[in-house]
Amino acid sequence: MAKLLHELSIAEAGRALRAGTVSSVALTQHALSRIASVDPLLHSFVLVTKERALADAERADRELESGIDKGPLHGVPYALKDIYSTAGIRTTCHSKLLLDHVPTEDSVVETKLKAGGAVLLGKLATHEFAFGGPSFDLPFPPARNPWNPHHFTGGSSSGSGAAVAAGFTRMAMGSDTGGSIRGPAFYCGVVGLKPTYGRVSRRGVFPLSYTLDHCGPLTWTVEDTALTMQVIAGYDPQDPASADLPVDNFTQGLGQDLAGLKIAYPRSFFAKSVGVTEEVIASLDAAAQEVAKLGATVTEITLPDYDIFNSCGRVIIAAESYAIHEEELLTRPLDYGRYTYQRMMVGATLSAADLVQAFRLRRELTALLNGEVLKTYDAMITANGLSAAPRFDEFDPNMPPKMTIQTMPFNVTGNPVLAIPTGFSKSGLPLGMQIVGRAFDEATVLRVGSAYEAAAGSIHKRPELELPIAV
Amino acid sequence: MSSQDGLEHELDVLLAKAGATVPPHLKGGILAGYRDMKVMAAKVRQPRTAASEPSNVFSLKGFARTE
Repeated sequence: MAKLLHELSIAEAGRALRAGTVSSVALTQHALSRIASVDPLLHSFVLVTKERALADAERADRELESGIDKGPLHGVPYALKDIYSTAGIRTTCHSKLLLDHVPTEDSVVETKLKAGGAVLLGKLATHEFAFGGPSFDLPFPPARNPWNPHHFTGGSSSGSGAAVAAGFTRMAMGSDTGGSIRGPAFYCGVVGLKPTYGRVSRRGVFPLSYTLDHCGPLTWTVEDTALTMQVIAGYDPQDPASADLPVDNFTQGLGQDLAGLKIAYPRSFFAKSVGVTEEVIASLDAAAQEVAKLGATVTEITLPDYDIFNSCGRVIIAAESYAIHEEELLTRPLDYGRYTYQRMMVGATLSAADLVQAFRLRRELTALLNGEVLKTYDAMITANGLSAAPRFDEFDPNMPPKMTIQTMPFNVTGNPVLAIPTGFSKSGLPLGMQIVGRAFDEATVLRVGSAYEAAAGSIHKRPELELPIAV
Repeated sequence: MSSQDGLEHELDVLLAKAGATVPPHLKGGILAGYRDMKVMAAKVRQPRTAASEPSNVFSLKGFARTE
């Protein structure tokens, strides 16, 4: 059966664009129609840049027709989490504090996407400043989960996860400080990559935590993540964390089996955690078996307790986010959403020694993971969320909820991690896992993800959305 | 004073030191977060020697003359 336009992957759309069987304008108009029709249910976009999108698409079509090829995203629509600065386009961080903020410069990622001929559809919902949420007291409503709109998307890249799952865009940029790409990828059933710390420039992206922030894509397929990385990765001398390393060929391992790879499986890391569901454990066990069937040697290992990693990251994020927002928190407390303010103010209680000890622990944990585990193993698979997406009405409006995702450890260590779907809960909501790699070895992580994705087949099931128009 | 009252008093002191005037209806969520953060701040203190782990060093290489 022929695919609908929004079901074409970046790779498939790229081939069709170059063959002349589809135009960028057609892809863009289809996406805009679908957003107009369905997004009032999901609220994934806070701003649709229709005129800009159509102008970008017309330009891309002219360029491709005249033989100018700017790479894998040329003519392909995408969207940005609303913490990425876009010159001349409102960038709010989903906050009352920046409601009228129009940057004069693009973020580095947006500059690269523009240069690559991609087509900006608009700006996406986020938890306020990538930290609050899910909140109903902000200028825009929270994004809703396309698999069931009564359920949470995960955050903070909430609109990014929802927009990709709903088929509004093949790629959405997110950011990940404690799991903000991987959480929405898990809850919304899409692919999300937190690249290695330093692989993608954060310049022009509103910071949450200077030493934990990562920028990365969410997509429907692993290949589309690899193609996006080819465009956005690279050294930026003006981002102090940026690594002066060559950009790899991220697609080099796609389509291969896993013969010869050694994969670590720290089962007790998640299986003994409070709140983990039996179906998540079963899903991970099945995924580990599938990875073994694909030719890898899967070995169960033990890691230090998750709580040690999480504590390290939480102390750092609390201290750094408070430092960034201190002045506004003290002078404009009521302009923040309730959850954002309550979470950030905890940073005011930390001492300098607390932060130094957390930095020391980070070095120790990073050495342990990279030295003791990933020196022996090519990659590691572990849980992402511990249960399927909760309902919005499960959250206490007076207390910021605790998130049951085990993503923080790899913000602490900086390793690349691919979040990938593994199937569905009994209630029909997505489940998934994390594939963790050696520093700057996104290629192996993508190879494992690609092989698993092809074998597991969950890529073929999409949310059933009520569409009043035939798009 | 109960441990809850003690914790709240501690939080009040720290917030006052930071110069924060917290809207009363938002304080409960901060107190819950502070309780959790105290546990986490204790966990980052591991047995170490004074010389171990120079995590806060920085490099001036990027500012050095290259010619």
